[in-house]
Amino acid sequence: MADGRLERFLNRFGDVRGREARAALTLSGFFFLITFTFYIIKPVKESFLIGFARPSWWPFADLATALLIGFVVALNARLLNRLPRRTYLTACLLFFIASLFVFWFVFDVHRTMQIMTPVADSSGISFFLWLQVAIPKFWPFPVFVFCFWADVFIVMSVTQFWIAVNDVFGPHQAKRLVGLFVTGGLFGGIAGSALAALMVFARLIRPEDLLLVCPALLVLALVTINIVYAEQRRIDAAAGDGPVSAAARVGYLESFRAVKRSRYLLLLAAMLASAMIAGSLINYQFKTVVKSAIENSGDRTSFIAVFFLAILAVSTVFHLVTTGRILKSYGIRWAILIAPVFLIAGSLAVFLIPAGAMLAWVCAARGGDKTFDNTISQSVRELLYVPVPAEVKYKAKIFIDMFVNKFATGLGAGLFLLLYSLRRFEYRADQPLAIVREIGVLTLIFLFLWLVLTRLVYREYPAVLKKDIRPKWTEGRQAVAAHVDVDLTLKIFNTIQSRERSTTLYYMNVFNLLRGNDLAPELKELLGIKRDELKARAMDSLFDVAGGVFFPGLEEAIADTEFQSEIDLVFLLPSYQEIMGRRLGEIIGSASEVDRIEAANSISRMVPDPPTLQALGRLLQDPSAEVVVYALNSASVHRRPEHVPLIVRQLANPMTSAEAQSALAAYGPGIEDLIGPILRASDEPLEVRRAIPEVLARVGTQLAADILVEELARRRDDVEQALVDALYKIRADRREVRFREKAVRPELLFLIKKGCDISLNPPGPAGEAKAALNIRIKRIFDLMTLMHSPEDIVNAYQNILQGTARSVDYSLEHLDNLLDRELKSLLFPLIEDLPPEERALRLKKAMRLK
Amino acid sequence: MVIKTRESENVVIFDIEGEIRRSDAAQTTLHSLVKAQLDRGRRNVLLDLGGVEFIDSFGVGEILASYISTQNLGGKFKLCRISKKLLLIFQITMLHKVLEIHEDCDRALESFEKA
Repeated sequence: MADGRLERFLNRFGDVRGREARAALTLSGFFFLITFTFYIIKPVKESFLIGFARPSWWPFADLATALLIGFVVALNARLLNRLPRRTYLTACLLFFIASLFVFWFVFDVHRTMQIMTPVADSSGISFFLWLQVAIPKFWPFPVFVFCFWADVFIVMSVTQFWIAVNDVFGPHQAKRLVGLFVTGGLFGGIAGSALAALMVFARLIRPEDLLLVCPALLVLALVTINIVYAEQRRIDAAAGDGPVSAAARVGYLESFRAVKRSRYLLLLAAMLASAMIAGSLINYQFKTVVKSAIENSGDRTSFIAVFFLAILAVSTVFHLVTTGRILKSYGIRWAILIAPVFLIAGSLAVFLIPAGAMLAWVCAARGGDKTFDNTISQSVRELLYVPVPAEVKYKAKIFIDMFVNKFATGLGAGLFLLLYSLRRFEYRADQPLAIVREIGVLTLIFLFLWLVLTRLVYREYPAVLKKDIRPKWTEGRQAVAAHVDVDLTLKIFNTIQSRERSTTLYYMNVFNLLRGNDLAPELKELLGIKRDELKARAMDSLFDVAGGVFFPGLEEAIADTEFQSEIDLVFLLPSYQEIMGRRLGEIIGSASEVDRIEAANSISRMVPDPPTLQALGRLLQDPSAEVVVYALNSASVHRRPEHVPLIVRQLANPMTSAEAQSALAAYGPGIEDLIGPILRASDEPLEVRRAIPEVLARVGTQLAADILVEELARRRDDVEQALVDALYKIRADRREVRFREKAVRPELLFLIKKGCDISLNPPGPAGEAKAALNIRIKRIFDLMTLMHSPEDIVNAYQNILQGTARSVDYSLEHLDNLLDRELKSLLFPLIEDLPPEERALRLKKAMRLK
Repeated sequence: MVIKTRESENVVIFDIEGEIRRSDAAQTTLHSLVKAQLDRGRRNVLLDLGGVEFIDSFGVGEILASYISTQNLGGKFKLCRISKKLLLIFQITMLHKVLEIHEDCDRALESFEKA
């Protein structure tokens, strides 16, 4: 089947895309074969246990498994550590195939012994002779061994299947594909049950002969899984992802420690254990009621067979109709709650129902438990493992799925036995409703525990997921801030440049630099403050000012604090102020740019009396950008409201815009009321309106943030980028500022819809449209930081842009858990790797939704 | 100051002549030119400063703003053929820790390919 047709076909069962279709189908086929086998073995196991062991022994089969499974887990962990994944799976399947022949032989010998006297075969070997004697002698011990083996097979093969899923797919892929896998499993279950029932019912073969069907299925499974891993190796090599990481070489204890070390895994294990114990107790409620309601053994067997077939049928329908949809629309967050909530409601109902409705109730309770277990709970359970780091995942999965699972079932059996003995159930066979209610109290305790643990697990889930989403690069501002004091650097460049203009200006700048900053020796050298060292470092050429002598005595004079104080006192002298007040007017009117620059620079140190401030106002309107820059610096020192309009005007000039922004930002809280209206005024120059958001971002107050969000809500294209940039900056720098989801979400949705428009109706050639969309997506992610952790969103964005296939998938999964349904449905088609037609289809569908 | 734009493979190269200073700045600044290229989807930017004699605080601001815009989009921003005098100032002000500076423009272009 061509890939496209295969994809379309598989999409009926899950969200399957392009290249993953083959792997998904093959793995689904593998799971089908496994469950097919498992549902053939299961009735044989049940039938043999019921037929050959007394009822009081039944719970001991579960208890024996619970006690012995630890050894199997230890052995399995060792094998998984020592063998390459493909070899490990092959070896396990070969072992199960061989075991099936052995069990068939044992059961065959036992049945043969029942109908004929054992005789020594003339061609026999002593071992087989011994077996022919030993099997009847130790009977029904082999049945218990078979039950244990069957439990091991079931739990191991299912665990191995999900290990393979984890190897091949990322979390987001797995979430989309889990529906297909579970469908494969359910179909396998139906096929296995139906085959077993039909073959035995029609008396075509004996029950134990069913075991000979299983090796054929497992051989097919063996071939299938090898195909999957061979293909995966090729895909990993092409995608640049490393091969499936081998587990660390540690044993069973280390597996236990791995779970113990992780809070998430401990919670997960506790959650699964609670679910298993509750399920086990519900099972005993079921058995109690069925035993009481249906006394005839044949009728009871028949009823149970039909009941389980019905569960599989209901599970299949439920799964095909709901599992995928729930996971896609509501994610793990809500899917994880469905089973415990439903079962709690169902278990509470037992205290209200009359005795006559007991059978119907218990079928609903047990049916519900098994249906969820086969469908949504299974899907969620497996998805919860996906974000666990690879080196821990396999150890933890084996320990939890095999040991904890079976141990919890055993614990359930133990609790039932305890209750059985304490509450004397043996003598109260005529009170099934009371017994069921007493078990129900215990069941409810574990169901509530399960519910609480689901919330705790889900709370930890994003943190575990995030560990695999590492930043791909440092944001520009952070990269600069990590190494450079930008303000100081700019002042240094200004100072160096000022030397060309005038010695006075240079002195002023050096003086200002020294006053405000603790300069490093290299910087002092650079500025000519330590002349001797400068010469020694042969930097003369750098500061070679027309071959003249270089600022003698500068270091001694400026570094002297007494000298600095004297200069300050000069600025404060009333006579100085009076003279300078008159002189400033003359300087400002002069033709010399240098004089005006010196005046603009000096004002920063002067007392802000009216003549000085008036002069500063004039300098802020000077035709020379150099003069204005110095005047802006002085304005930022005095911070007078009357200067704000003059500074704002400089925002329109690209040569002074940055300094004007700095000057306005220096006003600090309170400036928002003065510049907010300018941002809103559509008659103001666009350059001014575009520069104001940056000022508000630097002020960084709650009011500044609110003004920016309010302006964003006006949805004006021309300032949108500046507004989003400013909001992003506030969010990154000022964690105390709050953004109301109610105000931000509509704007986020609006931006995403604009992105969808660009994707559906490209504004120009493909390259340009793609670039425009990429800019739009960046803006969407920047705005998203207002509603979620900025680090998480930035990391997700970076990985989606430049990550490996796996990190992209983890990022998508993380977003899937963060965003609501509507945002996801619109955003995901924009950021997922989809063929153009598929993207357009999904976008159209999403746009129609709202 | 004269800025010429050309492309080599997937790198946008800005050849700058003269002085990057406030008094010589045109209405179209270096940062606005870089942003225009980023908006076109270009992500690798190289400034050839072989013809630049001096940079003032305005020029440094333009270079840093261009670097930040490129970096935020996951792009690469590099400088080449910077004069020894400027390199010294860049080193002392630690700008060389942020900006990737190459002596030779061909090597700078090769470094984009390797990344």
